[in-house]
Amino acid sequence: MKNFVVGLFGDPESALAAAGSIQTADLGTPELMSPVPMEGVEEVLGEKKSVIKRFSLFGAIFGGISGFLLAAITAVLYAHPTGGRPIITFPPYLIITYELTILFGIVFTVIGFFVSARLPNGLWTAWWKQDENRPYVPEAAVNKFAVSVTCTSNESVQQAEAILRTAGAEEVRDVTEEN
Amino acid sequence: MHGEPNQLKYTDIHNDVVRSIVETGPNYYIALVTAFALTLICFFFPWFYQLYYGIGAAGMNHPSVWGTYLASFIFWIGLSHSGTLLSCVLHITNSSWRKAMYRSAEAMTLFSLVVAAIMVMVHVGRPWFIHWAAPYPNQMEMWPNFRSPLLFDVMAITTYLTGSTIFIYMGSIPDFAAVRDRTRGWRNTMYSLMSLGWRGTDTEWHRLHWAYTFLAVLIIPLAVSVHSIVSWDFAMSIVPALHQTIFAPYFVVGAIYSGTAGIVTVMFVLRKFMDFGQYITELHFDNLGKLLLVLSLLWTYINVVEVFTGFYSGASGETEALNYRLFGFYAPLYWEMITFCAIAPLLCAFKSFRTSFVPMLVLSIAINIGMYTERFLIVATSLSRQYLPDAWGLYVPSAVEISILLGTFALFTTLFLLFVKVFPSVSMYEVKETMESPKKSPPAASEGSPA
Repeated sequence: MKNFVVGLFGDPESALAAAGSIQTADLGTPELMSPVPMEGVEEVLGEKKSVIKRFSLFGAIFGGISGFLLAAITAVLYAHPTGGRPIITFPPYLIITYELTILFGIVFTVIGFFVSARLPNGLWTAWWKQDENRPYVPEAAVNKFAVSVTCTSNESVQQAEAILRTAGAEEVRDVTEEN
Repeated sequence: MHGEPNQLKYTDIHNDVVRSIVETGPNYYIALVTAFALTLICFFFPWFYQLYYGIGAAGMNHPSVWGTYLASFIFWIGLSHSGTLLSCVLHITNSSWRKAMYRSAEAMTLFSLVVAAIMVMVHVGRPWFIHWAAPYPNQMEMWPNFRSPLLFDVMAITTYLTGSTIFIYMGSIPDFAAVRDRTRGWRNTMYSLMSLGWRGTDTEWHRLHWAYTFLAVLIIPLAVSVHSIVSWDFAMSIVPALHQTIFAPYFVVGAIYSGTAGIVTVMFVLRKFMDFGQYITELHFDNLGKLLLVLSLLWTYINVVEVFTGFYSGASGETEALNYRLFGFYAPLYWEMITFCAIAPLLCAFKSFRTSFVPMLVLSIAINIGMYTERFLIVATSLSRQYLPDAWGLYVPSAVEISILLGTFALFTTLFLLFVKVFPSVSMYEVKETMESPKKSPPAASEGSPA
């Protein structure tokens, strides 16, 4: 059995406190859902690390090399001697290199974001219905702060519900059962 | 509309923005149909006429082989500069006043770039060969010349268009998700696809923050490079008054200047016609007014430097081009530009002016008229007065060119009107961020108000 127990809170402080209590009670790392980025999440749930910067760096290096090679190789393929200057000239090719460095840096940053945020979520399988492996509460996009706990037994469900209610949850839902 | 700003709640923002998308009054349809009809009549029909009868339908001829099409291209590229650039700078400097207005400013960037790219196709005369600028293996065994500033331009604008599109889209994903939950039918399907299954989890917010910041850091130098490169289309020539080392900063400052004025115009329209008066406030106009004042002083300084160095050089071609610009056939346009872009913006020194909506709107339009004139003068006065007097000539735009110029504004308006019905034109989650977080107690005050 795998259930998601979701507590809805009216304020971020209570949601954060509930998330901390869930983690302390050894019920796993809860997931927070909110209409705005919440401050203090990392103090409660631990530091988050992202691989996006590595994607950005790789994209920028790849783009820079590709840009220079594009300009240089095409110049060699169709040689156009001008005033005795070399066929591969650095000053103008640096501009192409620069532009493609930025272009691929941007593209790979987006790829890094999608990979690390695990998006798209349910895009092709069920855009009319949320992915059941990822709970969702629409109120969390408006004005509520949700704490989602993954439970694998009836005991843990009851324990999680109790912690969420004690922390001040306005409502506690079993999202899987609803779906 | 709801009450005073300090009474706003998260749900108010949500409702107001969703309403701006799903509720459409007759005035919107009238505006959209009018803008679209003007686009057809003023832009596409004259363009098709030119395509059918040839580029001779435009007033461009030797020596003025560049005309209003290129002036429009520079103008629209310039107008694109403040949206994404300003948004990026204000994002990494953590300026919260940006949050209510940046989405529309970024849309302005995007559509200005689209219009600018179309102007290139209008200018080249035979747009069906535009793919020759792309580096791809072809039967002619030819490749683009990457030593040419025109190819720099192709690469820079492609990158900027891609970056700006991604930047506005990434920032909108949480809002698409919020709108998705409030819509039905085709709208729900569209926003479900566009929101990519966003749920607003702590991990998603964390990743979005980092990706968005990286994008901002990448786009700022890109934006500066784009208009520098546009300036090199001219400055890399050896034509008097164009061959200037100061052209790159001149173009960048001019671009940010006209773009900021464009933002003021767009903010006024959104405030007035989309009922966003609570989110786009006097504070925004005040800050944009200060920015306009600083930029106008910078722009004036560069113009003075350009005139002084031209005069001090003593080079006959340079002084002739300078005299022609200041006192020749196009002189009334030059002094109109100085009045609109150097003198009128000094009014922004007064707070009472900066916080007055209608005067700021009038000023922003005047600045952009002046900035278009600047671009026209760069193209027209230099090419018509080159080194040899027997190569001198006059350029006056034809009716086709004037119509297409007017049509670009209709095209931009059409695209922007479509945008406000698809994208949340005020960023919901970022405006919510500027508000005080909801508090635990008392229960009646469970939702916050703006800081």
